[in-house]
Amino acid sequence: MHTLRQLSALIRLSLYDLYRRKDLVIVTILAVVVLVPMSFATPFGIKGASRYLNEISLLLVWLFVLVIAMTRTARIIPTEIDSRTIYPLLAKPASRTVILLGRYAGVLIASLSVLLLFYGLYALINTMKSAFFPWEVFIQALLLHISFVILVTALALLGSLFFNSDANLSVSGILIAGMILYGQQLPVLAAEHSLPIRAILHILYWLAPHCELFDMRTRLIHHWPAIPWLACFCIFLYALAYAAFCFGIATWLFNRKKV
Amino acid sequence: MSSVITIDHVSKSYGTCNAVSDLTLSLHAGEILGFLGANGAGKTTTIKMLLGFFSPDSGQISVFGHNPSDASTRQCVGFMPETAYYYPYLNIRELLSFYGGLCGMSSTLIRQRSEELIARTGLEHAEKRLLKTYSKGMLQRAGIAQALLHDPDLLILDEPFTGLDPLARIQLRDLILELKTKGKTILFSSHELSEAELMCDRVAIMKNGKLVLAKPVKEVVCDGNTNLERIFLNVLQAP
Repeated sequence: MHTLRQLSALIRLSLYDLYRRKDLVIVTILAVVVLVPMSFATPFGIKGASRYLNEISLLLVWLFVLVIAMTRTARIIPTEIDSRTIYPLLAKPASRTVILLGRYAGVLIASLSVLLLFYGLYALINTMKSAFFPWEVFIQALLLHISFVILVTALALLGSLFFNSDANLSVSGILIAGMILYGQQLPVLAAEHSLPIRAILHILYWLAPHCELFDMRTRLIHHWPAIPWLACFCIFLYALAYAAFCFGIATWLFNRKKV
Repeated sequence: MSSVITIDHVSKSYGTCNAVSDLTLSLHAGEILGFLGANGAGKTTTIKMLLGFFSPDSGQISVFGHNPSDASTRQCVGFMPETAYYYPYLNIRELLSFYGGLCGMSSTLIRQRSEELIARTGLEHAEKRLLKTYSKGMLQRAGIAQALLHDPDLLILDEPFTGLDPLARIQLRDLILELKTKGKTILFSSHELSEAELMCDRVAIMKNGKLVLAKPVKEVVCDGNTNLERIFLNVLQAP
């Protein structure tokens, strides 16, 4: 009960932050501005070309959610330290593990609420526009995007204990973008090199987050079939395990951090 | 008399700088201790160790007989930091609700205590305003309210009079003395020697990380021709 009250207070703090800083208003405006025109437009009168606009709008949704989730997470601990709010916070009878978990959960819930807003609007527009909407692929895309947010926020949280927020955003951003774009190329690249570069590339392949696994945009837009649910569930578990690993290390570091 | 705080041969250094050297001090239940010293004397480092923010390099610290780094120890401790920075996007009620939640208090108790403390610290007129619109003195009052929220037995106040106007100073002094009558133990660090002289049972003066004087105020200013300010200067200027 005691811990639940502490977690609930920490989560509410993040939601107040999201609401009071007007982030939610900006995100809603962005969602409407980006999704509505792109979903209804038919460029050059070519039927089917609107799918490509849909793809762009979903890419922008990915970017917005990624930016919001990462900037919020990357700032949790550095902002607490810089603004000195960390002192009254740590002086309360809450363990550092609970504080980190509560702050992480708060940012995660705030980021996921933004994600749900985008996906809700996307589903609404597309069901209004056409009779057929691939619900199964949509739910899988949503689940995998939630998994992706869980993973990247945990990664940014871990980074925030090593770097300041700007450096953290750069490092995490490069890692995530690099893995989305070139993650699958690492083993191919490794095969072309001899030791020790081959070993380094293999280690990087197994250690880095496989962000490319979570992207279902193409399937959703082109109405391709859904992936097997077992595969979807395994990717979800992978994200949870990776996030738990990052959170575990972050907790260990935060418990030893001098403030 | 039972010891609330026991500091036993504690040392702490940052790199080559000795912030606290071989400090031994205790604070008894119901006592007000003025923790004095120039800037960089080691007061804040000692307070941070008392709150379990970090451990000493050597020596032992106990608060109510327990290790201060245990979260449960801090259930009985209220802390007001030197610089009053709180979440600017909250109002005072939300701030107290947040800290009350961290202390594991029920929402009914938080509401009741918040009412009392907002009135006591004179923030009723500003309770709907966000903290980012508060003046420095108002933030200090908010800091006092959050420190007292869970009705702690030990209060650690780091420079509590900073930024307060004369009226607020008197109100805070009265509040501290009232808390003493309720049996609370109070440690406050300050540069305000006149306040310390008026309120404290004992003063401890730190210089370059070392404790140079720890005596009851009555003994320090016993002859009537001197005051704490003069004693403080003599102690700090001594080689």
